[in-house]
Amino acid sequence: MIEPLFPRELQLLGIVVLGALLAWVMRLIRAQRLGLRDSLLWLVSTGMALLLVTFPGLLWAVTRLLGVKVPANALFALAILYTLVNILAGALGASRNAEQIRRLAQECALLRAEIDALRTDQRDRG
Amino acid sequence: MRVLAVVPAYNEAKALRPVIEGLYRTGACDVCVVDDASTDGTADVARRLGAVVLRSPVNLGIGGAVQTGYLWAHHHGYDVAVQVDGDGQHDPAALPALLAPVLAGTADLAIGSRFLEAGGYRSTALRRSGIRYLSWFLRLRTGARVTDPTSGFRAAGPRALALFARLYPSDYPEPESIAVAVRAGLRVVEVPVRMAARAHGVSSIDAARTAYYLAKVSLALLLLPRRARGASGGAATP
Repeated sequence: MIEPLFPRELQLLGIVVLGALLAWVMRLIRAQRLGLRDSLLWLVSTGMALLLVTFPGLLWAVTRLLGVKVPANALFALAILYTLVNILAGALGASRNAEQIRRLAQECALLRAEIDALRTDQRDRG
Repeated sequence: MRVLAVVPAYNEAKALRPVIEGLYRTGACDVCVVDDASTDGTADVARRLGAVVLRSPVNLGIGGAVQTGYLWAHHHGYDVAVQVDGDGQHDPAALPALLAPVLAGTADLAIGSRFLEAGGYRSTALRRSGIRYLSWFLRLRTGARVTDPTSGFRAAGPRALALFARLYPSDYPEPESIAVAVRAGLRVVEVPVRMAARAHGVSSIDAARTAYYLAKVSLALLLLPRRARGASGGAATP
């Protein structure tokens, strides 16, 4: 019998918190406030976290696989990794948006100049 | 060959007039001012003087602004684009000398260097050593021998023009764009020019930001893009 990693109350709290997060993400998607593309990573990673908390045996297996002595450390490492990956995904999205905004602003500037030129043409002719 | 002078300007209403007039006096080029969302009437000054005005709705920074000019040149059939700062640092009278190697077909990109000949404004000692370091690092990374890699006074021939319309770095773009050009197989030369201290306003790179500038540019030179990302840029035509 393996020693439980955390007390049952704590496990329950983890399940509730992660479940709420998952439900929130799904609600945001259904309300079309979060694009599916940007939320897939959240859904998958939060789902996996939920799985690990619900079945701590899995966490033990991961701990043994990684060769970590204290399971709590493996838990922390996974939690930090989860956070970092999701932050990086957010930064990627921000970079993509910045690039697109730059292109759009440039296109605006070019089109404005084309309109200026057309107006001048028209005035000269009229 | 049709030549377009691209003048990036951010709140340069006071300094812009002599720059544009000087450019027209050379008789060598059309003039287009890229107004990077100025709030001081820069666009009106440029328009009154007869320049084409490319006015961005948001501040893009020097890289994005300059690229807008390259896009305009590219779409409108210009063969050569010359970058000239709107703040009066660059003497428009030096334009023919800068254009010469590009028009003669011996270079794809000509960079105006203030260090090849004595005289003119050469910046502070701190920034000069920063520039020397960048020059060394650029040579290390690409083999390019450029004494003034931060110079924004440059002439781009047809190949460089097409490249920069598609790919131009965003912030502190000057050294990185040289690297991009060299990596794309373009011939880069330097031409001695004199520069002046800014007539008005403050430089976008003050002393405190020099270290940040050097770190950022070094990183950019370390992580040069493998190839130009083509899909997103340069496709739109008026």
